Amino acid sequence: MSIGLVLRGIFSALFVASVLRISTPLILPALGGLISDLAGVINIALEGIMLVAAFTGVVVSAYTQNVWLGVLAGLAVGTLFSLILALFHLYLKTDIILAGIALNIMAQGGTVFLLFTLTGDKGSSASLASGTVPRVVIPLLHDVPVLGTILSGHHIFTYLAFLLAVVVAVFLYRTPLGTHLRAVGENPEAAASVGINVVRVQTIAIGLSGLLASLGGLSLSMAYLSFFQNNMTAGRGFIALAAIFLGGRTPWGTLLAAVFFGFADALANQFGSLQVPPQWVQMIPYAATVIALVVYNVRRRRQAIERARRMQEQLHAQGTAFGGGD
Amino acid sequence: MNRVLRSNPVREALRVAIAVAVALTLGFIVTLFVSEDPVGAYKAFLFGPVSRLNRFGDWIEESITLIFLGLAVALVFKASQFSLGQEGQMVLGALVAGAVALYVPLPGILRIPLGLLAAMVVGFLWGMLPGFLKAYVEADEIVSTLMLNVVALKIYEYLLTYKIKPPDAGYTASATFPDPGILPTFLPPLPFLAEIRQLFMQRTNISIALYLVLAAVVVVYLLMYRMPFGYELRMVGANLRFARYGGIHTRRTIMLSMAVSGIFAGLAGAHLAMGIHRKLILNITFGLGFEGIVVSLLARNNPLAVPLTGLAYGYLRAGADVMERSSDVSREMVLVIQAVIILLVTAERILPMVQRRIAARRSAPGAAQTPEPAPASGPAKGDA
Repeated sequence: MSIGLVLRGIFSALFVASVLRISTPLILPALGGLISDLAGVINIALEGIMLVAAFTGVVVSAYTQNVWLGVLAGLAVGTLFSLILALFHLYLKTDIILAGIALNIMAQGGTVFLLFTLTGDKGSSASLASGTVPRVVIPLLHDVPVLGTILSGHHIFTYLAFLLAVVVAVFLYRTPLGTHLRAVGENPEAAASVGINVVRVQTIAIGLSGLLASLGGLSLSMAYLSFFQNNMTAGRGFIALAAIFLGGRTPWGTLLAAVFFGFADALANQFGSLQVPPQWVQMIPYAATVIALVVYNVRRRRQAIERARRMQEQLHAQGTAFGGGD
Repeated sequence: MNRVLRSNPVREALRVAIAVAVALTLGFIVTLFVSEDPVGAYKAFLFGPVSRLNRFGDWIEESITLIFLGLAVALVFKASQFSLGQEGQMVLGALVAGAVALYVPLPGILRIPLGLLAAMVVGFLWGMLPGFLKAYVEADEIVSTLMLNVVALKIYEYLLTYKIKPPDAGYTASATFPDPGILPTFLPPLPFLAEIRQLFMQRTNISIALYLVLAAVVVVYLLMYRMPFGYELRMVGANLRFARYGGIHTRRTIMLSMAVSGIFAGLAGAHLAMGIHRKLILNITFGLGFEGIVVSLLARNNPLAVPLTGLAYGYLRAGADVMERSSDVSREMVLVIQAVIILLVTAERILPMVQRRIAARRSAPGAAQTPEPAPASGPAKGDA
């Protein structure tokens, strides 16, 4: 009977809508992380950037009583925070993983420290009257029974997340900067040799990843919830990283993986209402990523071996054509 | 003076000292802004851990965990494997050590070694998994270890919530371990310091883990610098291709570097469970996840320096606790200080830049010194 309940839960429109909602703060940082990853600068600090942006948005919107000022401030501060990573990695030659870890520690400590200083509470900013972004009701669609429930009435960040997946795909594969960016990630020396400013491109990539991660953070504190919570990202920045790898480092794959993780999370919530331990479901995204990583690498290596074999055969054929002995 | 400056250990120590000084100054400036009594708060932060004997004990206990973690990281980073999996190894180490402490009906003299051994084995295995994946399918260890951390945490949470927690307990935690499952305190009886010994035994919980961690430091040092495995590990870390060319079984070395590192992270977990908390609690590793990296990093992955940086880092953390309890500044400030330290210590270019400035200023007024060649762009590339 429990399985039946869960199944009925999964196939309801409300569940699908909740998947979209839960996926939003995963899609946005994942897209950002993808940009910097393709530029050859892995951004471990997504988690910290999200926290900083989520916190700034809440505080600024509470003090100015203007939601959009809060959003703008969150984006600005989050992006600036990500540029610390660029400064230290690209200009001061800090290892990027360690700099990312440092930024995460700083964000986690700094937000709680300031939260306590401002409100006297370490847990959440519930005492601050911060705003949330409005929900978007799509005029006609909203009244269509199932589709309306699924597609209409979300916060603006949810629509933005899917829209930005398209934008990021176009940016990466259809614009000169996107092409430069991927070239830099593929082979920085080669890119530099044809006149691409590697450091500049990587700085932009990190900044963009910061911008997108900031959107993700804001979607948590100004849409999904209406306040900031101690460590409210709860590892989403790392799930976003996982989504990039699970998605084979492509925009569509990343989007799909992020939605899959959102699905697993929503599923865990469903199980939570039953007698099934939610930990097993919560584990799925992470275990799946490890497995995907293995599959991806095994396949890539097999392809490489195949390529090498073919090339050898070709060489061999040429060799015999020229009558060269062994 | 310049010769001394250029010698590597001195330069490293200087780099760390500058970073710590800058970060602490920054912390004080922040305290000025947020505290009614900034001087009092900072005093508590800087001198708290040595102001009372029990606080001193807390500091040492905290440091023991950090040193275990730092050793784990030093081993694996020395092989240039960026395993971030210490948290997972630690939490599973705590789990099995706790299980042994709770359920294995043996006297303490056997139960404790068994618990420690179990934690070491689990740490080894949980490190070997990403190690194997890295060595044989080239799966990026950063991603795989981050993922496996969460898997380990979930396994821990599940078993704690559904299997280990006593049904009548109000919150998610195990029962307190029985005495034979708790690391005993032990100080060797000394003829002259008998009273001090008595005080320490009464006021602090410093356990035999202190001797274990010292032994671990020696073991890791010997392993890294006096054994073939350590040589291979360092060769792999220095130059993978060269190591392979030189006939080193690089895949096995990579896998083992991550597995052996896990042993020490597992011991850190055992110390958390059997030494510090004396029961299993939710979030037992909270806030410790990446601290081993910082400790090892500050020690430049040198196992003999890890105890020093572990103690220093533990001091900051213990000081922050005292500050929070005795002032209006929250302990999270220390996290910001830590982050600044990491950034400054790992920035390869900062010190050479400062040195060049100094050199330039010195040679500008036409000093009698021979003009000093600007140091190459960065000291020999660090291990980290």
